[in-house]
Amino acid sequence: MPLNTITVEQLSKNYQVPEREAGFSAAVRSFFKRKYKDVKAVQHVNFTIPQGEIVGFLGPNGAGKTTTLKMLSGLLHPSGGKASVLGFIPWELNPDYLRSMTLVMGQRNRLSWDIPAADSFLLNQAIYRIPDDEYKQTYKELDELLELEPLIKKPVRNLSLGERMKCEIAAGLLHRPKVLFLDEPTIGLDITGQVRIREFLREYNKRTGATILLTSHYMADVTALCERIIIIHQGRLKYDGGINDLSRKIAPFKLIGVMLADADSHDLSGYGTQVQNEEDADKKYIQVKAEDVTRITSRLLADLPIHDITITDPPIEDIIEQAFNQ
Amino acid sequence: MFLIIKRLWQVNWAEQWQYRANLLMYLLYWLVSPIIYLAVWTSIANQKGSVNGFTANDFIAYYMVLLICDQVTSNIVIHTFGYKIQDGTLSGELVRPIHPMLTNGLVNNIAFKALTMMGLTPIWIILYFLYKPDFSGMSLSNMLLAVPAMILAFFIGYLLSASITSLAFWTTRVYSIHEFYFALILLFSGQFVPLTLMPKVVQDIAQYLPFQLLIYYPIQLILGKLSAQQIAQGYVMSLIWLGISGLLFYLVWRNGVKRYSAVGA
Repeated sequence: MPLNTITVEQLSKNYQVPEREAGFSAAVRSFFKRKYKDVKAVQHVNFTIPQGEIVGFLGPNGAGKTTTLKMLSGLLHPSGGKASVLGFIPWELNPDYLRSMTLVMGQRNRLSWDIPAADSFLLNQAIYRIPDDEYKQTYKELDELLELEPLIKKPVRNLSLGERMKCEIAAGLLHRPKVLFLDEPTIGLDITGQVRIREFLREYNKRTGATILLTSHYMADVTALCERIIIIHQGRLKYDGGINDLSRKIAPFKLIGVMLADADSHDLSGYGTQVQNEEDADKKYIQVKAEDVTRITSRLLADLPIHDITITDPPIEDIIEQAFNQ
Repeated sequence: MFLIIKRLWQVNWAEQWQYRANLLMYLLYWLVSPIIYLAVWTSIANQKGSVNGFTANDFIAYYMVLLICDQVTSNIVIHTFGYKIQDGTLSGELVRPIHPMLTNGLVNNIAFKALTMMGLTPIWIILYFLYKPDFSGMSLSNMLLAVPAMILAFFIGYLLSASITSLAFWTTRVYSIHEFYFALILLFSGQFVPLTLMPKVVQDIAQYLPFQLLIYYPIQLILGKLSAQQIAQGYVMSLIWLGISGLLFYLVWRNGVKRYSAVGA
């Protein structure tokens, strides 16, 4: 066992993406002469992860997280640089490597769409050469945590997104991998489901000493599981370190959301920076420094006809964007 | 490995079974052209007595055997894997420690065949009583020899189709390339008409191509039209083409996977 389970040196990936203007004449021109744009998805990324660590891999959409995960799991060949996982070069797709890691992506992936998950599980048992007793044991544990039993007899396409995700995760973990690459493992799950997956991952990590690298849009996933995070932005590594340092350094802000009796007649700009929140149009949101939350909240409550008030952390995407657009 | 194949079979069989109505439609569609060739050539031969020595009964026997040979040696890998490479669903299979096309793809094709064969059998029997072909040239030994020949042919065809399908790693126009490949099969395999009725130049070229091994060779073998020497030649050609198509697939796949850039998530 090498000292570091995952070693990444100067890892880079460029995509050549064909591009053309919209319209008929552009289509004709591109038929004869195709223009390509070089997209630098990942640029000279370095990091190491020791065995048993859970690391959160963060960044806005299109930052290069998934591309990096795909290179580490062997799906993509890099354009440059090196990576080693468990002593293997991932993209050589050595069967011994594939048997000791898992890649769970937030889409259908390991499960056959048209048949019950139970059949796919049994197929995985054979493919990963899992002995019967070990398989039963692992399945029992997964079932306790994810409540799989009512789901696995229905064709996968009849499951809800969250139910499917549970089955995907189970299918990816039946062979007890030593390294887990999880791309949005809790996407589509309700709060209970998210909490269960988190608990399960923590427990799995504690019991087996597995190394976990996960991306998530839910800050709670990351704060609950990871002591260390790596932030990547526009293909470059921007931060690698403790999670507590990050929120102190980058996001000493809170969001206050207020629902007012007559929203349009009040101007909140005197209290803090107004921000848009499309998901919750009924409320007005302002962003204030963490140390000012108490003071401003009491001012708001005293000054305005407030029906409802909430205080939350800014979404992870916002924190990261703030950090690197400054 | 046996357990993997068994479980792959269970999954693929269940999957294909879900689409049995689709398969029946596919089968009917697939049956149209050989049955038209059969009807047209038979009526021409009936009018003229024979076409280049082929009597009406020769045509009937030829196309009746063709229905079975084509069913055994053809494959649908372009339809099951082309889109997986293009839309990124291949990812899930690529990170499994078994080769996607040489395990799952193969078993999937065989499950598909098993199911379509179930549909073909009654249709074949009806056609048999309609046309009452004369199979007097057939012998048990030739039929037994044809079984490994057809299995070899299936693998040759599968590896060639899989190589073309793997071009999807480079281009999104892989379906047109495969259509062209189908045209070659139609022309050089004996699917359209028995090769001896083709112009001399087509016959000469066909001799060196793998396509006649998929259809013409096993049909002639089953019908008892080949000498011992011709049978042996066919086997040698089959082994050579199995090697070539295997190497081709190995190279295309190996380089293709390096280019794979799973689209989307």
